[in-house]
Amino acid sequence: MKMKKLMSGLLVATMILSMVFVGCGKEEKVEQGGKTFHIMAWNEEFKGFFEKYYAEKHDDGEYYVGDAKVVWTIVPNEGSAYQDALDAALLKNKDASAEDKVDMFLAEADYIAKYTQSDLTMDVKSIGVTDFANAYQYTIDAASDTNGVVKGVSFQCCPAGVVYRRSIALDVLGTDDPDEVQEKLNSWDKFNAVAAEAKAKGYYMIGSDSEAYRVFSNNTTSPWVDKDGNLQIDASIQAWMDQAELYAQNEYTLVGDIWGEAKSQQMLDTGKTMCFFGPAWYYNFCMPNAMDTCSGDWGLIEGPQAYFWGGTWMLAATYTDNEAEVAGVMNAFLNNEEICENLVSKDLQFVNNKKVNEKFASDPNYGNAFLGGQNDTALFVELAKNIKFENHTQYDQACNEGIQQYFREYLMGTVTKEQALENFRKYIKEKFPNVNVDK
Amino acid sequence: MKSTTTKEAKAKSISYAKWGYIFILPFFLVYAVFTFYPQILTIYYSFFKYFRDGLTWIGPEFIGFDNYKALLTPTAEGTIDILKYFGNTVIMWVMGAVPQFVIALALAVFFTSTRLNIKGQSIMKTVIYMPNLIMASAFSMLFFTLFSTVGPINSLFVSMGIIDKAFDFFFCTISMRTLVALLNFLMWFGNTTILLMAGIQSIDESLFESARLDGASGLRVFFNITMPLLKPIFIYTFITSMIGGLQMFDVPNILSNRTGQPNRTSETMVMYLNNYLGVSKNFGMAGAISVVLFILTAVLSVIVFKTIDRDKD
Amino acid sequence: MNSKNKAAAVKLLILRIFVYAVIIFLCALCLFFFIMLFVNSSRTNSQLQRGFTLIPGGHFFYNLNNAVHDSSINIPRGMLNSLIVAGLSSALTTYFSALTAYGIYVYNFKLKKLAYTFIIAVMMIPSQVSAAGFVKIALELDLDNKLWVLIIPSIAAPAVFFYMHQYLKATMPLEIVEAARIDGSGEFATFNRIVLPIMKPAIAVQMIFSFVASWNNYFLPAILLTKPGKKTVPVMIAQLRSADYSKFDMGKVYMFILLAILPVIVVYFILSKSIIKGVTSGSVKG
Repeated sequence: MKMKKLMSGLLVATMILSMVFVGCGKEEKVEQGGKTFHIMAWNEEFKGFFEKYYAEKHDDGEYYVGDAKVVWTIVPNEGSAYQDALDAALLKNKDASAEDKVDMFLAEADYIAKYTQSDLTMDVKSIGVTDFANAYQYTIDAASDTNGVVKGVSFQCCPAGVVYRRSIALDVLGTDDPDEVQEKLNSWDKFNAVAAEAKAKGYYMIGSDSEAYRVFSNNTTSPWVDKDGNLQIDASIQAWMDQAELYAQNEYTLVGDIWGEAKSQQMLDTGKTMCFFGPAWYYNFCMPNAMDTCSGDWGLIEGPQAYFWGGTWMLAATYTDNEAEVAGVMNAFLNNEEICENLVSKDLQFVNNKKVNEKFASDPNYGNAFLGGQNDTALFVELAKNIKFENHTQYDQACNEGIQQYFREYLMGTVTKEQALENFRKYIKEKFPNVNVDK
Repeated sequence: MKSTTTKEAKAKSISYAKWGYIFILPFFLVYAVFTFYPQILTIYYSFFKYFRDGLTWIGPEFIGFDNYKALLTPTAEGTIDILKYFGNTVIMWVMGAVPQFVIALALAVFFTSTRLNIKGQSIMKTVIYMPNLIMASAFSMLFFTLFSTVGPINSLFVSMGIIDKAFDFFFCTISMRTLVALLNFLMWFGNTTILLMAGIQSIDESLFESARLDGASGLRVFFNITMPLLKPIFIYTFITSMIGGLQMFDVPNILSNRTGQPNRTSETMVMYLNNYLGVSKNFGMAGAISVVLFILTAVLSVIVFKTIDRDKD
Repeated sequence: MNSKNKAAAVKLLILRIFVYAVIIFLCALCLFFFIMLFVNSSRTNSQLQRGFTLIPGGHFFYNLNNAVHDSSINIPRGMLNSLIVAGLSSALTTYFSALTAYGIYVYNFKLKKLAYTFIIAVMMIPSQVSAAGFVKIALELDLDNKLWVLIIPSIAAPAVFFYMHQYLKATMPLEIVEAARIDGSGEFATFNRIVLPIMKPAIAVQMIFSFVASWNNYFLPAILLTKPGKKTVPVMIAQLRSADYSKFDMGKVYMFILLAILPVIVVYFILSKSIIKGVTSGSVKG
């Protein structure tokens, strides 16, 4: 009997609680009115910059752009949930209420093509984003559809290089000066030769079999899927596979995921790895182990081959009812020098504005403490000139992830190379029914 | 015994038939709207070419049994992939379920035994149930930390001299499947124990008492009284564990980084299904896989029902 | 006689020691993961990066403070949303499953057998399948960001029905219903006042399990709940894990997971009391 009372009590409590909240929810709705500026994203990186440098905070604690209240829909990337939610929202954007209409959304390099090629994104020139004089060409190419219509704007530019550990470089190469180190690592042949020397001294050359993957995948001469829908493995990807095999067999690297625990422990003061590959956001945000334990023991060089990695684009959703606000944000993060300067000096970004970057590059007082005071912006300004955004498709994310994962099984010796590639092809076929994976 | 009660019930409750309909109505109504309709659509679409390319829907275009043909056509190596993944799923489920049921049954009997009179039961029951509270994804994260090449298990084995170099548990078929089974076992044995205990406790205590007075041994009591009377609940736990096992997804998906490594030997049916439901929303192929999975599950369930329930009369 | 008793006593003692050893080993194994979670939630991100240890990092309250005061993830609100969904779902699922099971078990009607077979058959359809279709329909009908969409479907849970049916089969003599009718009890009253108390252990068990399942559910809520005020705990944890690198903090993630478990343990403690002996048998035996 006692139990029954307890249980019914519990039930009643939950009911009342939920009533209260259903009630609250309704009240919130009534209060809403006026314009809503609706942005979709998968995390809060941009939201932070947006609130810090652009939107105004009103007395009600909400952020506004002009008279439009900013509403964020943030859906985590995990298990393609972001793209699912975004796709659903875009597909019904035409008939959505003013409040629910998506005005702007963010996308990454690996899947931006899916959206730029669709009618559900708008030509940004038509809404008033016309000044691309200071933007880097690759960020424009990435956001353009096949006819060259620009559909979005990136707020960052992501030239990437090689971050090396100065103390290990000193031991292996006899110098830790960026120019001299670059001289000794400026081609893959030299890089591989140094890897053997590093091995002889008990070091690993790189942190993962896929460490340099982006160097190869962003320098391909053909897309993952050709215009007839055939999957193809580019010569550059082949070259990566050869490199990964060479490095794994000779133990020039640990075999493991680029985001894995074994690798990130190599960034600690006790680490034995000489080189990591990445852009500004990589060492500024993904090397906390190094920042905490051996900051200053690092240097940045171009390395054997120029490349880029990543980027975050803002795209304008078709049927937006806030065209002016969307254009305002895009113009601000592209051309507002004050905002761009803040992003560089306070947030360690490499922005999508040549003029601002060059200003920091030529500033003799500017330097990154993590890199022993080296002016990384100066190097990135040079590297950014060589970036090309070519041969990208909407299939890239799955292809890039899949080839790294499945090829690693071959490196671990659990399957033959042929089996590894066969498993990769199966995986792509399952994900994309219209891609022909037969050789 | 059973047949007589049913007969009696029939005779006495005949005029109450409408109440049967009233009582089951809410269930069927909600089921029809929220679950059955989507399920019927799934089966329907399995005969269609229907997926998304980028943001454009392709189809639905009727293609008969083509999706099924694609599924059941052997690969160049001569294997039918879907059967391989079904095999993986069954193997990993059995590896976890056998210890799960043996231990859960033993614990349920121990906990309910008045002769053993185990102290501190409520704490123990809470503790063994606790792993079930941790989200599968979070639990898998902990497993990763433990078994990674730089994790404590590896350093323990190396320092004990069992292995001379860190071993990657996630790249070996046997260890990978064992880890999946171990994780599933840990997550579910407490749950099963509690279900079986609830079943044992519903058995009339006087039956145990009289058996004990007759001098029956613990094992005899278990096989002659506990098991027969526990059967309905045992069948329930076994069948639902099997259905859950055949729909295994979270744990191998996370532990294998979504690839079913090594060589797709930890790829389960639902991981396979999920590949089709990911970006391309391939309702055609996903529907066909679901139908195949449903048929295989149903066949297995009937076999299990028949085997366990054989000596019913 | 005496020696026989002695032998039996020794045997019992050995058995007891063995049983305790097994149980304690299993408990230790289970506790280990919980302790690991607890320790991890007391370590900062950089401590966690340094590798595994079972020594607490001393930053428990630092992480707790960070988790509760996260600027964009309102964890108290998330726990409330989760509580509403899980609480109502588990209540509805157990009540209506018991009702349905009782309806099929006690009454005789033409479609009885068909209804039973149907439910058992659909139990075997992978839930991912109906979920995919369900999402498609829900998004087309603008049913996203509504908590009731996650609650109402729990009325029809084939597996819970199956358990209730098996439980009735094992425990409930039909004579009780007959007796109640003779006493003039209505059919609904019989179910609510006489049958439900008999099924209390079954209801408690299934309530715990469905509460936990709903509490930890990620797949559907992740796609359907996109507004900050509507998100449930697992969706928030995923959001935290996919945070950008400047804010990525595993210590906070573990703290979130720990916070997410606590309410479930409380519910478990409340409900597990009714899975003890005696509560049930009284009513059955009259």
